[in-house]
Amino acid sequence: MSRMLEFSSVTFSYNGATLFGGITLGVEEGARVALVGANGSGKTTLLKLAAGLLRPVEGSVSFQGRDLRSVPRRELARQMAYVPQQMVAPFDFTVRQIVEQGRTPHLKMMGSFRQRDREAVESAMEAAAVTSLANRVYNRLSGGEQQRVKIAVALAQEPKLLLLDEPTQHLDIGRQAEILELLADLNRRGVTMVAAIHDLYAVHWYFPSMILLHLDRKLVQGETEVILQQETIERAFGIHARVPSGQIARSLQIAKGPQNFYGTNQTVDQGN
Amino acid sequence: MLILIGLLALLAVAMVVAGSVGAVPVRPRAIVSMLIHGLFGGSASGTSVDETIVFQIRLPRVIAAALVGAALSVAGVLFQGLFRNPMADPYVIGSQGGAALGATIGILLLPHFSFLGFGATATLAFLGSVLAMVLVYWLARVGGRTPIVGLLLAGFALSTLLSSSTVFFMFIGPQTDTALRALTSWLHGTVAVAGWDQILAVAAMVLVGILCSLPLARMLNALSLGEEYAEQLGIPIEWSRAAIILVGSLLTSGAVSVGGLIGFVGLIVPHFCRLLLGPEHLRLIPVSALCGATFLVLADTLARTVIAPSELPVGILTAFIGGPAFLYLLRRTKREYVG
Repeated sequence: MSRMLEFSSVTFSYNGATLFGGITLGVEEGARVALVGANGSGKTTLLKLAAGLLRPVEGSVSFQGRDLRSVPRRELARQMAYVPQQMVAPFDFTVRQIVEQGRTPHLKMMGSFRQRDREAVESAMEAAAVTSLANRVYNRLSGGEQQRVKIAVALAQEPKLLLLDEPTQHLDIGRQAEILELLADLNRRGVTMVAAIHDLYAVHWYFPSMILLHLDRKLVQGETEVILQQETIERAFGIHARVPSGQIARSLQIAKGPQNFYGTNQTVDQGN
Repeated sequence: MLILIGLLALLAVAMVVAGSVGAVPVRPRAIVSMLIHGLFGGSASGTSVDETIVFQIRLPRVIAAALVGAALSVAGVLFQGLFRNPMADPYVIGSQGGAALGATIGILLLPHFSFLGFGATATLAFLGSVLAMVLVYWLARVGGRTPIVGLLLAGFALSTLLSSSTVFFMFIGPQTDTALRALTSWLHGTVAVAGWDQILAVAAMVLVGILCSLPLARMLNALSLGEEYAEQLGIPIEWSRAAIILVGSLLTSGAVSVGGLIGFVGLIVPHFCRLLLGPEHLRLIPVSALCGATFLVLADTLARTVIAPSELPVGILTAFIGGPAFLYLLRRTKREYVG
């Protein structure tokens, strides 16, 4: 069986600067993978390469064993969905109108909505818990609500692979938990996913495996428990020289090992 | 569907009213009876003088106004979707300026050229608009996005350059009376038609343009959410962009070749229709076409009667309404997404 997603020695450069030099990674069908890395480490670029929105300069990205370059755009949009960090609508579309656009790759140019499409839209809105927002204007929703709408559009595409760029960004912990639970639930229903996530706590809790991007463009891929080690994280984020505080300290606690974080009485070495 | 029928009825009423108003008033009922008899044979109830006035003078103008209004409104919808910006009026962003320059060159230098039945005026107007749009698109975009400021500045600079070039050609060209009069009217924006032949040519351009924009509706919806996002929805971006620019330019050049530089119709009408029915493009396109037609028929009637016996160029009137509307939108969008 071929992998859902595979990067083989992918090199990507933008404006002459090399972002990735020959990276290789693979995502198995049914996996739920967190993409972790410092700001500027290339998480968004990696997701866009996976979605075929950017093309590698060298090497290849393949989806279900086929090189992305050989898969027509429309066909790809029926199998994978990309949820961007930000989506701004210049006009006052309602939530339903936005979610309906997820059916675009399934419709003929002039073809109208069939029963099948309407059902897909309804169940996507239900799964993402936005049915009650259907007639509200997208632009006037809160960040968490907009995030769920973006996921609903992706679900209306009925993808096998879901790529999410920081779906929990700017959300309070309650809304973060909602999104993460939603993603976990979708994954249990068979959707493979790769999500860029900043919060290591969320990564630890919700993602069995992860890809860690180093600032020096190297990446490590594997089980979350193995990778989330203090030294690895410190190297990836370049924080070894600083006294960790707040978020970092909490993240490092996780990195020290789960037993430290979940209620054992060991004191935590803050890494100095 | 019901709303389309309602708007169509409203347009018909507006056209009959427009036909009845003028230096020689003709009763609306007489116009209807003339139309019925004109179309289905039999004798009309109006006098022959009335008939001449209605069929030879007013009706062509009213129909032209409707076509121009519909074309500019739909072109506005297309360009606003392409640039993801409610202020992308074909006049403001230089599409009409390009068409006017092309038309001027056609009138002055190639009066006898003809391509597929369309004279140099229409053909060059189309090319002028396409070139202007490609240029503005290329100038105003920064890294996959079109900041408002860039779009408006590029459009403004290009429009100014184009209208100056148009005037330049008027001065160096053969200054025959007809040519000059036609060109002057273009610059001010006056619906003036030479006759039924010209109406047919323009009607063909406008109707084809509107029909061709309907299949673009889904692309416009997706493009509204961002180019990259539209791409992830399976929309072929390059192809869509080209199609939108071509169809928008076809509509603009059709409008410009009879109406000249009538500004802001493509801004006011789509904005009003979005407030009324929301931004979904498959609905927005036909509704904007009908509302735009009605709007310009009424505006043109007002323009030719408000200071009778003189006629006000309708472009002045639309600018009086559209200018403030534009400034209002500028103020509002500034808050929402700068750059």
